[in-house]
Amino acid sequence: MKEEVGTTAILTVQDLNKSFGGHQVLHGVDFALGEGHVVGLVGPNGAGKSTIMKAVLGLIPTDGGTITIGDKPVSITSHQALKDVGALIEYPGIYPFLTGRQHLELYAARHHRAQNITSIVEALGMTKYINVSAKSYSLGMKQKLGIAQALVDHPKLVILDEPMNGLDPQAVKDLRDIIRKRAADGTSFLISSHILSELEKVADDVLVLNHGHIVQESSMAALADAGGAVYRIATADDEAAVAALAVADVTVSRTPAGLILRETGPDVLNTALAALVGRSIQIRSIEHVHRDLETSFLDMVAGDGKEASHK
Amino acid sequence: MKTLIGQELYKLAHRKGTWVGLGVVVLFQIAWALVVAKAAELMSVPDSMIGNYGGNSLLIFVMIASTAGIISSEFQYGTIKQLLYRQYYRSQVFVSKVCALLIQALVLKAVAIVVGFGMTLVTPALNAKVDLMGTYEKQPFMNAYWLAQAGNLLTMLLILSFVLLVSTILKTNAAAIAAGFIGYLVAYVASVTLLAAIAQWHWVKWNPLTFMLTETQILSPSYAKATLLSTPQMLTGSVVYTLLFGVLAYLSFRRRSV
Ligand SMILES: Nc1ncnc2c1ncn2[C@@H]1O[C@H](COP(=O)(O)OP(=O)(O)OP(=O)(O)O)[C@@H](O)[C@H]1O
Ligand SMILES: [Mg+2]
Repeated sequence: MKEEVGTTAILTVQDLNKSFGGHQVLHGVDFALGEGHVVGLVGPNGAGKSTIMKAVLGLIPTDGGTITIGDKPVSITSHQALKDVGALIEYPGIYPFLTGRQHLELYAARHHRAQNITSIVEALGMTKYINVSAKSYSLGMKQKLGIAQALVDHPKLVILDEPMNGLDPQAVKDLRDIIRKRAADGTSFLISSHILSELEKVADDVLVLNHGHIVQESSMAALADAGGAVYRIATADDEAAVAALAVADVTVSRTPAGLILRETGPDVLNTALAALVGRSIQIRSIEHVHRDLETSFLDMVAGDGKEASHK
Repeated sequence: MKTLIGQELYKLAHRKGTWVGLGVVVLFQIAWALVVAKAAELMSVPDSMIGNYGGNSLLIFVMIASTAGIISSEFQYGTIKQLLYRQYYRSQVFVSKVCALLIQALVLKAVAIVVGFGMTLVTPALNAKVDLMGTYEKQPFMNAYWLAQAGNLLTMLLILSFVLLVSTILKTNAAAIAAGFIGYLVAYVASVTLLAAIAQWHWVKWNPLTFMLTETQILSPSYAKATLLSTPQMLTGSVVYTLLFGVLAYLSFRRRSV
């Protein structure tokens, strides 16, 4: 990634391929994650996000490609590199016979254990129910416990698969604050999420995955602009303007705030302006509007149906 | 490795089933001992004592349940990813679970022995009928007793390795428990049929169920005439089958996607 020049990559994935049965799920996935970076992994359902994460954690056999964490290779049979990694994949697993605190005590490193547990429990606002059997937890409480398990040991690399699942707004904010703070201290994060507006607030960079291909790798802001610029044109007579533009073969959408024009080609804006000026329609203002992330994302992954899983 | 075994024991110790199992074994032993004490004509006291007043059989059932759950429950609770993504080799995780089971089995066995002796010593009616310094099946009683405990342990390991295999392949403990119970019952209830089959077709003796009878043959060497295997062959065979099932269980666990 361009943004990472000068920083060391803590995680490198090269040419990762994976098939389930005859169905290829990942196609030559390549990316790197720099120290202290927060990278969002987005993509439609079934795109292969969880599969990438499982491969990075050495949980599934892969069909070619290399994964390195801090210079050490990772595979289903080599796990030493995972010493400093915390993760929550898909949904948190709960032992019905343990309390929340016992879950944390079970796998947390002995060093500063009590202190680490107390601090993550407080940061996620779990103090009230941490000593209660986890069997009785609500969806969001379980999710927080899973996140706490991933973070308790202060690992250098944290992998979170849809961590905002089921969290209330306060918890989402708490999580965001923790991620920001830890990233500032040098922790790297790989986070998948379908809530793009949330991801936008924490991620430095974004990887867009579609059908098991990385289709875009950029900063969050660049993703928003990826589909071309968008202009809002205010005229004295929108109705006449739409008609004039239709004749010139330019499509716009009409909103109360003005006409929305998408720069689908290099001279779209010029053609549109020429058409309006040619018909003597008064142009009051032209504004370059920032596209919203969701629209860009949907454009990017559109094409062959909503579900990526069946080709 | 010590850390991993500790974590497995932590989980076992926090499961209610572990303690219920232990309690059931002890209560069953006490109840059996009291019944035998009242009605010695019903069951021979030395035989009962050798089997720790039913404790030996019952603890196999408890261990079947525990073994069936130790890997499959991680799948059922969804905790398997947590368990496996860490820096340890899968072989280490697997071995740590086996070690935790062995420790549980040995603790249960020790408790069963203590309760067995305790009941014999504190109950005058039993005390009078068992001569610890006497003989049993033409050997010193204590010799027979310890041989029986060793044989019981061997049988248990054989059946547990099979249960572990079924549970890793099917990822459900119900199927594994059923397989264990059925295997155990078949080996004893149908042993007459099995021995008849062996007499008819000699090669049948090599099937794993025959080696469930090791416990019996150790105590009554004349059993060799029926199993067509010498006692050392029985011992070796049961160890070999235990290791074979254990290795197969590991192989099925080793590359499983989670
Ligand atoms: N164990 C498996 N066996 C067979 N196919 C699988 C398995 N796990 C995943 N897949 C397939 O791999 C593809 C990618 O799945 P994955 O779980 O990685 O998607 P995802 O991007 O995480 O989706 P979501 O947003 O719904 O979580 C899907 O087509 C899925 O059907
Ligand atoms: Mg997923």
